Amino acid sequence: MNRYEVFLKKLGRDEFRHAGSLDAADPEMAVMYARETHNRRAEGSEMWLVDRRHVLVADPESMAVNDQKPHRHNDGSRVAARRKENRNSEA
Amino acid sequence: MSLTPAAREYLLALADDEHMIGARHTNWIGLGPFLEEDLAFCSIAQDELGHAIGLYELLLDDAGTDRTQLDAFALQRAPGDYRSCWLAEIKCLDWSDSLVRHWLYDRAEDLRWKALESCTDPVVAALSLRAQREESFHLAHAEQFLSRLASTDQSARIVASIERLMPIAFGLFDSVATEPDMLAEGFITQSSADIEALWIDAILDDLKRWDLDVDIVAGPGQFNEQRRTVRSDGFDALQADLLKVISLDPIAVW
Repeated sequence: MNRYEVFLKKLGRDEFRHAGSLDAADPEMAVMYARETHNRRAEGSEMWLVDRRHVLVADPESMAVNDQKPHRHNDGSRVAARRKENRNSEA
Repeated sequence: MSLTPAAREYLLALADDEHMIGARHTNWIGLGPFLEEDLAFCSIAQDELGHAIGLYELLLDDAGTDRTQLDAFALQRAPGDYRSCWLAEIKCLDWSDSLVRHWLYDRAEDLRWKALESCTDPVVAALSLRAQREESFHLAHAEQFLSRLASTDQSARIVASIERLMPIAFGLFDSVATEPDMLAEGFITQSSADIEALWIDAILDDLKRWDLDVDIVAGPGQFNEQRRTVRSDGFDALQADLLKVISLDPIAVW
């Protein structure tokens, strides 16, 4: 048995989204099973399956570094506060 | 009532086959060999029950009977009033038997629905198209599973199941007594004998492709005299099982 990741796309402009995974003996059977395990109520109109062994996995350690960079998080609140301050001083 | 008695009898045989095979397949809910297969097999069961419901509703509508009587019609007839074949009725305790039965049955079912594709009754013709779309999945499932097992050390088990079930499977083609009228009326385009010949070709073709050596001993017509009116051993227990919930409260409305 091998593991496959299932992605579904609804009709329209939505992107493909991860729907879950399944185990199957080979790719052909994986596609056959996915129809019932993840699309039995027609949740999507298109489906991708990816062999888990073909997924490139990033190192979580290397990703975690970016959590320490608050200057990259701009929610606009500082700009809004400054503009409010300016408005008040003009009045 | 627009269906002739012959047409009603013919459709009832198909409906009862679908009902019984669907009910038997559901015995595997939660017990399939692995989760994905459990879901796929139970989906197939649900499809077959769906076909039965479609046909039962058609028969009730035609008789002017309210559809609230569907459960009673499907479940509470006297055993002698069912027209199912033995292949659909019997209990298969072994997974290999159930898988082989599914293949033998669906190979035939696909052909039987095709014979109704250009039926003079538009509701039947529409049901036929819907069923055939679902059958393509059932056949793909049977083909993929069995073709792989055939090349493993489990092939002897598969062959044993085929040899055990094949003689019973020929009962699929025991036509109801009224079939000649149906052909004359143009309700069906192929006789059970025609369908049987196509089915044998398809079965032999599969076996050859899977490289399985099976002696097909029973010939056509072995069960012909029964004309689907005699129930198999174990039918009473099956019906009692199906009636378990209804019997708890016979006047409950679902």
